[in-house]
Amino acid sequence: MKTATALQVPLITLVGPPNSGKTTLFNLLSGKNYKTVNYPGSTVEYYTSRILSKYNINAELLDSPGIISVVPESIDEKISVDSLYSHPKLGVPDLLIITIDSCQLSRHLLLPKQLISSGFNVIIVLTMTDILAKRGLKISVNKLSNALNCDVVAINGRSKQGVENLIRSINSNLERIKVSDKKNIIPYSLIKNKKNLVDTFKEIEEILNDIYESVKVDERIKLNSANTELKILQVNNIDNGFTPDEATLKIDRVLLHRFWGFLVFLLVMGLTFTSIFWLAQPMMNLVDELFTNLNTLVIRNFEPGWFTFLVSDGIISGTGSVLVFVPQILILFLILGLLEDSGYLARGAMLIDKPLSKIGLNGRSFVPMLSGFACAIPAMIAARTIPNRKERLFTIFIIPLMSCSARLPVYALLIAYLIPRNKPWLGGILLGSIYLFSTISSIIVAWIINKFTKKIFNTEDSSSFILELPSYRIPKLSSVISHTYNSSKQYILRAGPIIFGFSLVLWFLTFFPNLNPSVETAGITTEQIQNLERAERLEHSYASDLGKLIQPFMSPIGMDWRIGLSLISAFAAREVFVSSLALTLKVTSEDDEEQSTLLNSLRNAKIEATGEKLFTVATSIGLIVFFIFALQCLSTVAVSRKETGGWKIPLLQVFIFTSLAYIMTLITVNGLRFFGIQ
Amino acid sequence: MRTAAELNYKEKGIISEIDSSHPSSKRILEHGFTPGQTIELFCKSTFNDPIAISIRGILIAIRKSEAGCIKLK
Repeated sequence: MKTATALQVPLITLVGPPNSGKTTLFNLLSGKNYKTVNYPGSTVEYYTSRILSKYNINAELLDSPGIISVVPESIDEKISVDSLYSHPKLGVPDLLIITIDSCQLSRHLLLPKQLISSGFNVIIVLTMTDILAKRGLKISVNKLSNALNCDVVAINGRSKQGVENLIRSINSNLERIKVSDKKNIIPYSLIKNKKNLVDTFKEIEEILNDIYESVKVDERIKLNSANTELKILQVNNIDNGFTPDEATLKIDRVLLHRFWGFLVFLLVMGLTFTSIFWLAQPMMNLVDELFTNLNTLVIRNFEPGWFTFLVSDGIISGTGSVLVFVPQILILFLILGLLEDSGYLARGAMLIDKPLSKIGLNGRSFVPMLSGFACAIPAMIAARTIPNRKERLFTIFIIPLMSCSARLPVYALLIAYLIPRNKPWLGGILLGSIYLFSTISSIIVAWIINKFTKKIFNTEDSSSFILELPSYRIPKLSSVISHTYNSSKQYILRAGPIIFGFSLVLWFLTFFPNLNPSVETAGITTEQIQNLERAERLEHSYASDLGKLIQPFMSPIGMDWRIGLSLISAFAAREVFVSSLALTLKVTSEDDEEQSTLLNSLRNAKIEATGEKLFTVATSIGLIVFFIFALQCLSTVAVSRKETGGWKIPLLQVFIFTSLAYIMTLITVNGLRFFGIQ
Repeated sequence: MRTAAELNYKEKGIISEIDSSHPSSKRILEHGFTPGQTIELFCKSTFNDPIAISIRGILIAIRKSEAGCIKLK
């Protein structure tokens, strides 16, 4: 079962329930120099690392997803458990380190009990001992060690106290494993004489009766002076378990309050949403500018030819369209990481679960959906926190319906075109209505799609919402930052190549076969010549052929092939629609005036066949409606493919949302015309 | 028989059994809802559901439909 490479270096796997301090310990031992390994065909990811050289242990360390028990229920849980027992690439772990929250022994000891009966070599690491000490208690490491027949080490993740004991224990365990024969590991579900859950918990309670000790008097005084408000529990008062952390309960009286709690929730989420929006914008502009400048630099300094254009408009712009999303991803994961680490995110999920469950979603779908208003890409990655497979896939499915920020330039252009110049306030109202309309229609569409989830997602997980509300604590910035960094790296490495590849294909379609067009050059600037050349090239490109091919579809919605072509180009990224429209309408002007002259050319554009006005009120509103529903973003398709582990869902999304967009546009344009609005 | 879903605000109860026919029963047991444990309803969400229950020194948010299989003495 073990691979040759794994034989040389022992494998140590970190296991633990969620919120047990597992990741903190992993960072402590690995020094954050980790890489991820993916279980083939799934989105379950693991971090691996060599243990820091200063600890002098030659072993591979594997971090596994947080679980509370090794009896899997969903497909993803099964993958987690299976690869814990025997990782497809790294083999069977030689040693397990299980992190356990000292304040929650009675719940968290279930996992080590199960893993020890499976035959694993186990070291138990007790975390959060400082919080237990504030309650005047400590755990007798020796008694617990004897009761479970494995090494037990207490560690303080913040002060790093106890790490040397853990290292000693790892070393002695690894030595013992070397000399003894390999143990026979049996999957827990196959153990014949295993106890049922109730009996296992009874055993745990018996162990617990005996292992708590009072903190020594002098230590208690020290702790008391540091925190005089905390109640000290009596040792004989613990057989019914502890009461939850007092400070947490006090905060929760407000944050989970029926009225105030929901208000705070809306406020926190509103702030999160606007900050992904506004904080990321300057950085995105910076990335955008950087690549535009690089692009111009290449075009100015090299002979025009297909290779130069491949480098400038293909490779440089393609890289740009991958990297432009990084600021939003960074900010989203930073804020979510801080909220998660503080313990608030679980409360938010609880507050919003009821309304979302009405349309087949889960409280944990909320944050990904909200992020979708900024950008669908980080939103889909954020959906990983939803444990239920069906609900996760469904959340990913409807995320493209959220009105992402890339649609803003399109809305802005069309709104500017629609409203009279002397009434700019009308624009704000119109934009607000667009967002309201898109939110309401997303809810309706989600409600309809929910009726078909069984067919679409092929899984029948029963919907469930049981979520631990962890004690509040001050978030650990360093681990949040390293997690943010890794998520962004993952995005670039995984989704990057697909987005990049699609960009190249689109470049090819919009540049060939008429690569070097001839244009009238008399009396105009080089800038204008370049723009004319671009327009000419685009007009005779394969993409334009495609645009003409869909002309029969465009006519019923009052549009022509030029809009069709811009819609196809917009697949690279929605905001490309505006620049592409400018090109096809042959706008030859300086960049800073682009919009006002573009508005003029929109006003003057006529449908070639009939000579009718192209951009009427009806068609402009129709276009807005099209953008509200259509999934025309290759990056989203690429990420959806990656996150759902197959092509089925992304293709269905493109098909359903784009045909929905078409039908809705058809209804809007012809409906408006019916009422006499051209 | 009363269930955890019917607890009033701040009311305590002792678990008698978990309805094993419910699809979430195993998950509920794994979270430590075992017979004999004292639980307390800490609060209800804005829409009355899910509810937060205090058990074994921690708060757990759980949907009422799932709390319904936690039977009380």
